[in-house]
Amino acid sequence: MKQFLLAFTALIATTSFAQEEDLFDLLDEGDTQQITYATFKGTQLINAATNETPGEGVLQYVIAHRFGSFNDDYLYNFLGLDNAQIRMQLDYGITDRLNVGIGRSSFLKVADGFVKYKLLQQQSGTVNIPASITLHSTQNYRNARYTDGIDHDLTDRFSYMHQAIIARKWNRSLSTVVSPSVVHFNLVPSANDPNTTAHLTLGARYKVTNRIALTGESTLLSNPGLSSGERFTTPIALGVDIETGGHVFQLHISNTRAMNAPYWMARNPYSVSNGGLFLGFNISRVFTIKE
Amino acid sequence: MRLTIKPMKRCLSIFALIIGLNASAQQYLTRQGTLSFDAGSPLEDITATSNSATAVYDAADGKLGVQVLMTSFQFKRALMQEHFNENYVESEVYPKAVFKGKYHEGRAIGALTIHGMTQDVNVPATLTEKNGMAHLLVEFEATIEEFGIAIPHAVANKIDKQAKIRVDCKMPSR
Repeated sequence: MKQFLLAFTALIATTSFAQEEDLFDLLDEGDTQQITYATFKGTQLINAATNETPGEGVLQYVIAHRFGSFNDDYLYNFLGLDNAQIRMQLDYGITDRLNVGIGRSSFLKVADGFVKYKLLQQQSGTVNIPASITLHSTQNYRNARYTDGIDHDLTDRFSYMHQAIIARKWNRSLSTVVSPSVVHFNLVPSANDPNTTAHLTLGARYKVTNRIALTGESTLLSNPGLSSGERFTTPIALGVDIETGGHVFQLHISNTRAMNAPYWMARNPYSVSNGGLFLGFNISRVFTIKE
Repeated sequence: MRLTIKPMKRCLSIFALIIGLNASAQQYLTRQGTLSFDAGSPLEDITATSNSATAVYDAADGKLGVQVLMTSFQFKRALMQEHFNENYVESEVYPKAVFKGKYHEGRAIGALTIHGMTQDVNVPATLTEKNGMAHLLVEFEATIEEFGIAIPHAVANKIDKQAKIRVDCKMPSR
């Protein structure tokens, strides 16, 4: 009986001891669900869209330039800076997931509207989602006059790009994006040319410091050219993101000049070998409208 | 017969004593504690609140622990929240802030770990036990730089180097 008592007290003693030790362990047992934030600094990587949207109640203004050919008579043309294409964009975060915006580009005088929706957010914890998926859809209206002498009606001028942006933040430095996309032109030069083409955007950013990141992207295309013989090239771009407070500066060099998805994705005539290398930048500024 | 009953009684009494001790060793726990801070200045309003702080308290020995996930802090501005996590506290590397210590005679005494750096703290606190609920209230200031959080020169005058931290946790007994 004595032995039993001894064993019993020893047991009670160890359990109460264990309980004390466990008190701080309780801190870690709670909900540790973590939604991945800041996969990319901006809503655009370079030309391609990222999975990011401005938060709810945030108005974003983006001004983008694509300069003239960098390597065509570069001294006379001041590295192409004399000749810029411009696009302005204004967009708003209706919710933390839903973003709508409008834009206007000097390239073919294209006006556009877009919707972006964060369908899935990368997260870890009780629920594990390895990547974020954002749906993105743009509608583009070409204002530039046609030179073919045909009276084009309104619908001819529209083109579209729809994509699923699949992004993953691998660690605090490296994030990648893969975006299967389709481009549709209401009007193509010949009946032999497809209206709808498939594209695959691949992109990455690598953070060098907390506020500076290197970026790169390329978009594979299913339409290497038109039946007329006009060839299209694979858009490729390299850049650097610099973040200062409410601004993100994105400086880059690319082989594209258009800033609306259907045009830079599916209608890019420039290649590095024929002198198509352009400096460019995107600058975004956010304003918190609703706190 | 008498010989066998006696130790049994003793055993029972010890058992009852231990049960009694356990009952008085009241532990409290919440996972919905409120933790907020203010590191703002007249130039910029920098406040954030988390409503999912975990707090534990053992009334028997005064042990007190508080923990909060850095990403659970809600800011008024989404971008400020992103910068807080990404550039300042580096939540990816240091996901939580933890206090482990004791509550003793109106003070919270222990070790506070933020951004992977630990500092000893000894600050006034109130802890009241009432109707099976322990209520912890602490207000104190922490020097941001002591936790290795760098403030860039460009925003140095917008951020208060002394962050005012407020902990308000109502812990039901467990």
